[in-house]
Amino acid sequence: MRVQLLSIGWVFCLLAHAPAMAAERALSVTIYADDLALVQDRRDIEIKGGRQRIEFQDVSAQIRPETASLTAADISIVEQNFDFDLLTPAKLMEKAVGHEVTIVRVNPATGAETREAALVLATNGGVVLKIGQRIEVLRDDGLPVRVIFDKVPENLRARPTLSVTVIGGRAGTRPATLSYLTPGLGWRADYVALYNEADGKIDVQGWVTLTNSSGAAYDNAQTLLVAGSPTQVDGGARQPNYYRGSQPRGTLQQAGTESGSRERLGDYYLYPLAELTTIANLQTKQVSFLDVHGVPAEHGYEFRNHWLGTSETPQSAKSIYSFSTSAHAGLGDQLPAGVLRFYMRDKRGDPQFIGESRIDHTPMGSTLSLATGDAFDVKVRAVVDKRTRLSAFDWQSEMRYELTNALPRPVTVKLLQEGLWGDSRITAESQKSTRRSADTAEWAVAVPANGKASLTATFETRY
Amino acid sequence: MRAAIKRGRHSMRLVTASGFALAWVLAAAPAEAADILASIPSDLSVTVYRAPLRSSGSITLDDLGGFALVSETRTVRLPAGVSRLRFEGVADGIDPASAIVTGLPDGVIEKNREGKLLSPAALIDAALGKPVTLLRTDKKTGKSARLAGTIRSDAEGGVVFETSEGIEALRCSGLPETLSFSGVTDLAATPTLSVLVRSAEPITAAVTLSYLARDFDWAADYVATLSADGNTMDLGAWVTLANGNGVGFPSARTQVVAGRVNRENRAVEPLDIGGPILAQCWPRGSTSDPPQYLQIDLASPLSAAREKMAMTQTLAAAAPRLTEITLTGRKKVEQEQLGDLKLYRVPDRTTVSSRQSKQVRLLDRSSIPITPVYGADLAADENAASAPAHLLLRTMNDASHHLGLPLPSGRVAVFAARDGGTLLQHESNVRDLAVDEEVEIDMGESSDVRVASQSDQTGDSARAETLPLVPGTLRLRPANVGAVNRVDVSNARATEIHFELRLRLPEGGRVVRADHPLGTKNGRPIFRLSIPANGTVTLRYQSQHG
Repeated sequence: MRVQLLSIGWVFCLLAHAPAMAAERALSVTIYADDLALVQDRRDIEIKGGRQRIEFQDVSAQIRPETASLTAADISIVEQNFDFDLLTPAKLMEKAVGHEVTIVRVNPATGAETREAALVLATNGGVVLKIGQRIEVLRDDGLPVRVIFDKVPENLRARPTLSVTVIGGRAGTRPATLSYLTPGLGWRADYVALYNEADGKIDVQGWVTLTNSSGAAYDNAQTLLVAGSPTQVDGGARQPNYYRGSQPRGTLQQAGTESGSRERLGDYYLYPLAELTTIANLQTKQVSFLDVHGVPAEHGYEFRNHWLGTSETPQSAKSIYSFSTSAHAGLGDQLPAGVLRFYMRDKRGDPQFIGESRIDHTPMGSTLSLATGDAFDVKVRAVVDKRTRLSAFDWQSEMRYELTNALPRPVTVKLLQEGLWGDSRITAESQKSTRRSADTAEWAVAVPANGKASLTATFETRY
Repeated sequence: MRAAIKRGRHSMRLVTASGFALAWVLAAAPAEAADILASIPSDLSVTVYRAPLRSSGSITLDDLGGFALVSETRTVRLPAGVSRLRFEGVADGIDPASAIVTGLPDGVIEKNREGKLLSPAALIDAALGKPVTLLRTDKKTGKSARLAGTIRSDAEGGVVFETSEGIEALRCSGLPETLSFSGVTDLAATPTLSVLVRSAEPITAAVTLSYLARDFDWAADYVATLSADGNTMDLGAWVTLANGNGVGFPSARTQVVAGRVNRENRAVEPLDIGGPILAQCWPRGSTSDPPQYLQIDLASPLSAAREKMAMTQTLAAAAPRLTEITLTGRKKVEQEQLGDLKLYRVPDRTTVSSRQSKQVRLLDRSSIPITPVYGADLAADENAASAPAHLLLRTMNDASHHLGLPLPSGRVAVFAARDGGTLLQHESNVRDLAVDEEVEIDMGESSDVRVASQSDQTGDSARAETLPLVPGTLRLRPANVGAVNRVDVSNARATEIHFELRLRLPEGGRVVRADHPLGTKNGRPIFRLSIPANGTVTLRYQSQHG
């Protein structure tokens, strides 16, 4: 059935254009993470002996023509062209300058047709024709006149077209492979995590999401997804962020060290789709790649205060969910970069959305800590109580953090004070802190149910 | 496309594989997949989330920044084998990557959202290189001539076709002519989600489709009515939710969620809503046209395709704006905890229509004690001309103040009683307030209470000595002590008022001498004053630099 359908498709193509024969087709599409794909198009092509032009009309409209290559037995490539001169009525008329066309005048009263041959002299602004020895402007009087052209000029096409001129050694049909790179095809991962509050577990489903805006459809293609980007677009790695206050919150708490069974290409993981698939233009397609149930997950709160951050009104702490991707106590898979959406069942048992977070390419065995949003009931107010200059380059800052919890259960808030670089010291604190890094001090503050907690700390800094 | 779509016009339909082989548009799914249309939703649930970046204030109907989780239960009858299950009439703002389908027995092979919608331009595009019929009608006799032909190009809006007579361009001759297409297309009229599914045996299943969709929003709208003496207020609130989509949700279970949820902003998948057949022609100037400068078009690679893609993004802008506003009865929403968020459930099923805003009662509380507090925020050691003070209404969100429930963010309108009726006094925004938080309603400026500040730069040390030392000031360094500042607070009201003066000090600075008691709020010095009716209070202070 599929073969028959394909051949019908090809007959149409042959009727319309295709100077060379092409029949049974096997498409393979390899999609990289950053809007790049490698398309390999294998089909039987009828090679005539000698010089011949082969056209490929159904390639991506965004093809990078410099990457195209045609390989087949016993041919040599003369040249490759990518034509983007498109066939429009205006171009048709423009290319007819100096050539004869047939004009058909229609009598508006009787409908009678009169045919004449006309030479197109110019098409600037309007069409100037030479009919016999007369010069006329086409439809100057507004009466209906049809213009019939004999043929479509050689290099005008409905769609941008790749053409390859080859010299065939021996005549005959043989398989040829056209491969090229194209932007416009991309993929990413989308995850659905259902958090079960009662037993602290999540069910995670992973989907790869393919998008195609390349302008072409890929019928029954064998599809391979590569979690990685082989080229560096716009010149290189992410710029390091030197402004300390605005570093985004990292989601990867502990990078994993486990290897999985997934296929790799160099350092990239490969996700082949199990079945042939058709990627239509402008289609968004999702295929499942992960389905894990009952993974232990922890729910916590986090509040980050930048240096000398003081707030008039209490600020919500972030709601954090963390879990592992290790094989024994976690998802047991590598996670390609994407967005993880959290759901939770409401009192009626319907899943409701509670926030999402982006994750980076994550190796197996990692610990992820994802912020889904702000907690309505857990808030922190950080206040700079006092700033004293001890000497020219020595300041003492007294900070107070007021934590409130309107939930009917006790919570623990991970409180982070950032910006402690240099030889900053904590000279006094109401609760012992741990120093996560030279920059950040951390307190785990327990806040009772429907209650308050307060934390004070005194810092000695150079600024 | 964005016109309101009534659910229920689709009936169950089965298209067999052979039907697709004949169609001139090749089916996107593998050839053996049967096309199954899911029934209209039998159960609907809509949960509306606020715009993630808005922390207070009301919604704007022209620009709904929130989103919704839509869950639809539909019945499907699947034959054995692979089928393409189609869900028609999903919200136009659907985020296709967020779609979840549950209830299907075996594996879902893939989920698709087709980005190309049925339009005249899409018909031409699909018919490219394929046989069509050209229809030419004689204006005089009304007879139409049919001519078989092939479309050779539809590039850049012009249509070139070929018949047995030769090559012609559509609608360039001045004769009424059009194209007639045969066969069916699998292009959908509205955004459609389809699922490729494999079933071992024919089954009937209730399938639930959930997805996130843009163009929804909600906020709380509070109405505070002050009592005659100004010491208590009644507080009522509405949940105002709006749907900016072209799709309505009849008798849906409706919820709203308060609290900020994280949304990763990401480009929206392009949608080609198509357009008319433009039939651009060659230059058609005549000898009677005014002269024009010659313009030569430079070839631009693939511009047509790019422009078309850009055009697809303007979809939202073309939509008609919201019109209908519905007020339902006084049955209140029910609140429950959803993780760290608050979920409010509309008690009965309700219809969330397309382009509609709807209001449901959130709360009604009466006799909430309030304290009006006037205040000003001044930079220390600076002269400030007489300016009106700010008025706040302060209360606590707890049971003793007749509150003690989560208050979602929104807008509050404060009304005051007058002659048995009420008049609007001020409108301001409120943020999310948890239980036991201090509530402050901004009431704007009061021209009756004015504040002026003067710095006495003469530095008369004898006068400075008269100011008492602020308790707790240990290290007074006379060299660093600044001039005496004088703040006058005047009250033209016939009642005594509370006044709070807060000072902004430079780094390391502190108030060392003052003739009124000094407090601290959020690490900044504050003077809490009582201003008698029709009186003036003068405050003097001196600060020390760090």
